Amino acid sequence: MAKNMNRRTFLKYQVKGGLWLTAAASGLSFPKNILADTGPDIAVAKGSPAAATRAAVEMLGGMKNFVKKGNKVVIKPNMSFDTPPERASNTHPEVVRELAVLCKEAGASRIMILDNPLRQPEVCLDISGIAAACKAIDDRMIQMITDSSLFQETPIPDSASMSKTDIMKDVLRADVLIAAPVAKSHSGAGVSLSMKGMMGLIYNRRVMHTLDLHTAIVDMASVLKADLSVIDATRVLSTGGPGGPGKVLKPDMVIASKDMVAADAYAVSSFEWYGKKYKPEQVRHIREAHERGLGRMDLENLKIKTVSV
Amino acid sequence: MRFRRVIQVITLGLFLLLLLLAFVSESPAAADIFLRLDPILVMITAVSARIFRPAFIPGLVVLLLAPVAGRIFCGYVCPMGTTLDGGDRIFGPVPRKQFRSETLRMVKYLVLIFLMGAAAGGISFVFAASPLSLVTRFYGLVLYPVLGFLSHRAVELLRPVADYLDIRSLAYAQIDVPKFATQFFVLSFFAAIFAMVRFSPRFWCRYLCPSGAILAIFSQKPIIRRRVSEDCTDCGKCVRKCPMNAIPGDSPGLTRSGECIICQTCKGVCPVSAVSFGIEKGLPRIPEPLITGISLSRRGFIYSGVAGAGTALVSLTGLNAPHDKAGEGQVAPPGLIRPPGARPEADFLSRCVRCGECMAACPTNTIQPLWLTAGFTGIFSPSLISRRGVCDPKCNRCGHICPTDAIRNLSKNERIWAKTGTAMIFRQKCLAWEYQKSCMVCDEVCPFNAIEFKREPGNPFAVPHVIEDKCGGCGYCEHFCPVNNQAAIVVTPMGEIRLAGGSYEKEGRGMGLRLQLKTGGYNLPPVEAGGSAPGFEE
Repeated sequence: MAKNMNRRTFLKYQVKGGLWLTAAASGLSFPKNILADTGPDIAVAKGSPAAATRAAVEMLGGMKNFVKKGNKVVIKPNMSFDTPPERASNTHPEVVRELAVLCKEAGASRIMILDNPLRQPEVCLDISGIAAACKAIDDRMIQMITDSSLFQETPIPDSASMSKTDIMKDVLRADVLIAAPVAKSHSGAGVSLSMKGMMGLIYNRRVMHTLDLHTAIVDMASVLKADLSVIDATRVLSTGGPGGPGKVLKPDMVIASKDMVAADAYAVSSFEWYGKKYKPEQVRHIREAHERGLGRMDLENLKIKTVSV
Repeated sequence: MRFRRVIQVITLGLFLLLLLLAFVSESPAAADIFLRLDPILVMITAVSARIFRPAFIPGLVVLLLAPVAGRIFCGYVCPMGTTLDGGDRIFGPVPRKQFRSETLRMVKYLVLIFLMGAAAGGISFVFAASPLSLVTRFYGLVLYPVLGFLSHRAVELLRPVADYLDIRSLAYAQIDVPKFATQFFVLSFFAAIFAMVRFSPRFWCRYLCPSGAILAIFSQKPIIRRRVSEDCTDCGKCVRKCPMNAIPGDSPGLTRSGECIICQTCKGVCPVSAVSFGIEKGLPRIPEPLITGISLSRRGFIYSGVAGAGTALVSLTGLNAPHDKAGEGQVAPPGLIRPPGARPEADFLSRCVRCGECMAACPTNTIQPLWLTAGFTGIFSPSLISRRGVCDPKCNRCGHICPTDAIRNLSKNERIWAKTGTAMIFRQKCLAWEYQKSCMVCDEVCPFNAIEFKREPGNPFAVPHVIEDKCGGCGYCEHFCPVNNQAAIVVTPMGEIRLAGGSYEKEGRGMGLRLQLKTGGYNLPPVEAGGSAPGFEE
């Protein structure tokens, strides 16, 4: 999360630590769902978009593990292209809706679904199917933000190439950030997953191409670190990404993790890209994120749990 | 008097409402109707472009109304007239002793004849003097952006309150503020016209307006006109108050009907109620000899006509003068991209009245008025500036709204084929080609799938190539190119399709083009055999 969220995160850890200490001192046993860390590092669910999303989040201890009562949540799907779900350049509308429902069930006070589109916003929302899917929950929670006055300049501490960026104010105010990308190839960044998808929350994306794109993505992800990543791999745009048209695989899979690097790494290794298999370290921004301690790509050392629903 | 103000406010309100609808609505109905009411605008366009369109009928109706009700259009309907009346109040006061000139009054006839002369030569200068073209440009290109800017600021100020009350329609309101070139030229012109109130009210309408001139010619003795009874005491109050100087100073009982805009100020100020407007009611009247108020010498007439035709000739022989056929030795302004569906250049310029409707209506603000880029005859004509905005291949608002069909109104499919130019890569500026960076923005945003990335020896990243026959010239690539100032990929007019009639698709297919939107089909790109997927490392 962004720098000005640090205090909140810090307090969260304090409380958590306090609980652990209390638990240890009193010798009390806790219900399993509070000891969330015993869950898998990466949860993979196969099934229809909504059911798989719910199942994947459940495996990580449920949405209440991420969203507390009264929390403000921002969900960042891909909805930047005016293409229908079967083209796999946008997140599946049912994945987005299910995440919003889960947040609502967990007691979120405010859920915002945000992106900064490349095409006409209304058309993207319409053709992607996301507006229609989420309308029943709250038709005001989806916002396509392009106006510079809705962004705020944010420094990136310990940056390697991009020292500051303008982030949507809504994101800076949020307690929880959920990355909800579709799994797709990207001709510039190799893949566009949780980390790359965060480019939809900043104002000046252009400048990242003038820098080193991969390094700039890691810089950006260091201030836009998702609390939960849910990768929609119900369809995967294996070639021609990010916009397509391209070859669409149908693994019917949803990948969830609280480590955005691990989620991305798992998605890279699970599917064919342009007809070939790749290792996570072959995507440089994933490798650099791992090296800089943003998350882990060493899948062999991570606990991965798969279910079918 | 009060009745007239009400009508004026209503018509100006309607004019502004239609303009506002043109800004915000996708297919505004009759947004251009006021422009087509302007007699000079339709007449000059008909002559310069050698066309007659049913859309021109409103202007002719106004003209034919003149023998019946005089210059009622000027007094009650014309948004320029109403704006100037408002301006007179703001920038007044009108001097006690008005400036009156019989000579200057002839200027509007000279302007009219000049425009006719030029139009006969096929060149339209109507944009310089048509009141509706002028006033539409003023509201659309100068005041609309100011309004947008202020609204944007207002939203910013209210946003904290909206956030607190969770009024999201306001909290997330994003107002696009349009920006236009040349607005200072338009503003200066209007500043000058407004300043003239220091000499006399309605200075423009009295002395300069060619629409006023043609209406004056047609309203020499209209059926509904000013009449004065024998009660008149020759006090001369009406003479002093008439905003159009339509009452001769030595005989207040008479009227220069061609100058009278039926405002009825004289009726209101007459101490003995001797003035009436209407048809003959059998009252004793002062005899009315016809006073035309037109004392144009034959010499003046001929000179201005010849000057107009001469200016047309000089324009036609200028270096930048548009040719009928593209070819060797033709000098066209580099980078001049006309809106999609714009007719061939000469035809286009003879029709375009530079009202700025297309620019104000363009949702991406890419259509900008030119100053001298396209030569003297191209002043205020529209051009696409891709750096400012993209030209959405699904949008044809400019063609829909154009009052003279200078930009053609196209069907959805035809619009896609109305190619405005072709993208060209400046490799030395390109991040991928020159700086060896991972950039593929042009490919990502291209709606036509007209960018292809290929490997180059020695470059770790693939580099962009334009597939020319797939490129529609929409400017998405140029607009989004991350290179500062001038982009590394630029749309040039090469390959643009400009048709005076017939199908763009047929023409495009005949040229071997393969224009198709990405959103439409599933034309899968070939999977790269061997090597690695783009963006991955070995």
